[in-house]
Amino acid sequence: MFLKHIDLTTALRPSYLPDEVLLFVQDNVGLYEGKFKLPNQQNGQVYLTSHRICYVDKDEPRKYSAALNLKEVDRYEFYAGFLKSSAKITIVPKPLKRSTLHNRVVSNTGVNSRGSTPSPAPSDNAYTPPSGPPSITAATWVCTICSFSNPVPSNFDPTTANAHTPLPPCLACGIKPTLSQVLKAAISTASNRPAATSNASQSGISSQENSSTIAPQSSDLLTFDTRISSGQGKPDTGVSFHCPRCTFSNHPSLLSCEMCGAPLLSQNIPSSISSSEYIRTQSPGPVKDSNSKTSQGGTDFAESVKISFRGGGEKIFYERLKSAMTQRKWLLQDAPPAPKSNRAMDDSSASGSPSTPVQRTKTAGIAGLEQLGLNMRKNNEILIGSAFEDLEALMASAKEVVALAERFAQQVNGASGDVTSKDNSILAESAHQLGLITTKDIVGGGSSESLYFSELARNLAEFLTDDSRGVLKRAGGILTLVELWAMFNRARGGVELVSPMDFEKAAQMWEGLKLPVRLRKFRSGVMVVQARDRTDDATIKSILAWLQDLHEFPPDRDVAWDWREFGRGVTAQEAAERFGWSLGVAEEELLMAEEHGALCREEGLEGLKFWKNYIGSTDPALLQKREAQEQADALIQRLKETGLIG
Amino acid sequence: MATTTSPPPPQPQPQSSSPSSPSSPSFPFPREYFFPAFFTRQTNITIHHAQLTKWSALILAYARHHRLFRITISAAAESDLFFNRGIDRRLSPPDIREVLDFMRKDGRAEFLRPDGAADASSSSASAAAAAGGDVVFLYWRKPEEWAALVEAFVEETAQKGSVLTVYELTEGENTRGTDMAEFHGMDNQVLMKALNILVKRGKAQIFGSEESLGVKFF
Repeated sequence: MFLKHIDLTTALRPSYLPDEVLLFVQDNVGLYEGKFKLPNQQNGQVYLTSHRICYVDKDEPRKYSAALNLKEVDRYEFYAGFLKSSAKITIVPKPLKRSTLHNRVVSNTGVNSRGSTPSPAPSDNAYTPPSGPPSITAATWVCTICSFSNPVPSNFDPTTANAHTPLPPCLACGIKPTLSQVLKAAISTASNRPAATSNASQSGISSQENSSTIAPQSSDLLTFDTRISSGQGKPDTGVSFHCPRCTFSNHPSLLSCEMCGAPLLSQNIPSSISSSEYIRTQSPGPVKDSNSKTSQGGTDFAESVKISFRGGGEKIFYERLKSAMTQRKWLLQDAPPAPKSNRAMDDSSASGSPSTPVQRTKTAGIAGLEQLGLNMRKNNEILIGSAFEDLEALMASAKEVVALAERFAQQVNGASGDVTSKDNSILAESAHQLGLITTKDIVGGGSSESLYFSELARNLAEFLTDDSRGVLKRAGGILTLVELWAMFNRARGGVELVSPMDFEKAAQMWEGLKLPVRLRKFRSGVMVVQARDRTDDATIKSILAWLQDLHEFPPDRDVAWDWREFGRGVTAQEAAERFGWSLGVAEEELLMAEEHGALCREEGLEGLKFWKNYIGSTDPALLQKREAQEQADALIQRLKETGLIG
Repeated sequence: MATTTSPPPPQPQPQSSSPSSPSSPSFPFPREYFFPAFFTRQTNITIHHAQLTKWSALILAYARHHRLFRITISAAAESDLFFNRGIDRRLSPPDIREVLDFMRKDGRAEFLRPDGAADASSSSASAAAAAGGDVVFLYWRKPEEWAALVEAFVEETAQKGSVLTVYELTEGENTRGTDMAEFHGMDNQVLMKALNILVKRGKAQIFGSEESLGVKFF
């Protein structure tokens, strides 16, 4: 499969590979394989990173999310959308293996011949390299009832078709054709093309394939181009447009033949529009069902994948995809380090430093160490100099620069060596990890701001639950929103700061997004962040357990009351120390526990202390019942007395 | 939680504590009395209600034990009822007043009017009570219950139709030491409230002047 299952982070975002950078996010997209909708992947978010395209399903993210690697992508096409058909981007995979060449070609044929494109637009040709030539088959079958000539469905594969292959009914009368009819039509069309056959036999592909495939030869393309241009006259300049099937001269603005209804493709309109025409005729797209999947299951060909953008954002996605494909970041992973600019190379060669490693081995002693240090400094200098030379170079050597900066930071920390800088260094490190930050720029603008907020919410959840950072854990599992906000913005290193308003909105989306953290509002209005599994009950339980412990251990100093029976009162400060909470949180938690009736308060000279509730609580309903009971008892008593006496 | 050790309810009980020993020193304080937080007004409504209920029970049990019919708030604040010297915790006068007001609503206490004239019925006293004098009647038995007791005593001793002075009822030899006459040494004003209830029922008639009141039972 072209699409692979992916792992998600706790925040239900794709977990990125090292060096992977998020480029774009768009929600409300659906996936197609070939031209079939994938039934389980119709509503989700698409993440474009420097390495992959990830689809994360909205309803069942863990189950149906998938990704495809950009390095396996051969080419991609853009379709602008037409009427009710939303914009799509088709991604065609590279051939997997030699052995599966045949299948791939078949599938490519299926994809591209959809709508029976008689003449690929020149731009299309220039765009797609020879590895995947667009097919020119325009197979038709003639309906036996109404003798209307219907196009053979694009996904129809004569080699794999059987009695269970779904066949579309006749477009004119709606009668379903027999399989043999369509099969015959498809085979005859394929075999009617001498160029393809000859080429196929030349390239040594078996005769069975000849009947159904067009060999991907660049020479073919040329022949076809010439054939088309000669066969159709001059479509570029012509006032009329010749139908490829019945040769009727149509008006150039018509999209299908006036006589036979065959789709017309003029060469002077952009390919995107021409393609929109034929897709529209087939929409709504059929859903790929498991049956057809299994019938084709024997062949593991890689089908092209389409991403349907129902909420907009396709243009930016396309642009970013284009640049990602150009940059080929995935190659960088094992690329040689320090991409140096020419100037730097010149400089270094002038100073004779390219031979540094050789020199290093030669020199020894203090002089050697000095030489080593000098060379290293020079190297760094060159690196920094070249990095800032222009932006492109900076992007290219970003990895190096970051590593360098980190090393500097560590050196600085090592020199000062104080403990307080530990947090800072951790934050600085995590700022680097936060390279995958969500910004308004990354997120598609289709659905206004909500997508940005939801992405920010996921981002925050990741930040909170990341084990290596342990933000939430170190704060005792609970953190006020303000503290988190400060920490998060600090971690962002002073750029792309999040406004408090956005921050709050994002935090409020945690609940809806089923993320592992939640926002809680105390009665006083203080908002805190805590893990989803930490409920009030759990907190109360832990507080009570702690208070219970105080029954066992004698207090620091003598107390007047029986501490074995009552334990002792605790202040918010003590609770903060005990649980690692901040003071504000501790106070709120204690008040919350009091509100639940688990604790009671004591105001004294030493301030507000909280005790386990030994006063007890009275449920109003219970109280009323007891009162009624008491009254009844009193009445009975009195009746007894009076009865006894008089 | 710890509701098990609430003090005995202020309902009529087998008269185990002898009336002749009004100053028995060892009042069994409930468990809460030794709980420091019990002396702080609770903010949680349900806990606060429980606190009031327990304080009210404690006060009534204490008053019954010591045969207190009225307390002066300022003086009582220093007594060991509201001031646990053992743990150095005390209930502040405003909180005492709140507890007493809670008891008043329950018909278990009544504020003496500042002018000294206690109202006859507890219902009409409710309006005036909030302003509150310093003196409070504690009804560990309600006036109705006292009236029943007096009536029962008269029946028992076959003094129906005869005339008794109020002094006789509270201080006389007849009522001393008998099991029935728990009202011996009773507060005059509380007794008058009880007698007035009997008068209203047509069971008694009060006559005489302020100093020497007589009661005739029917």
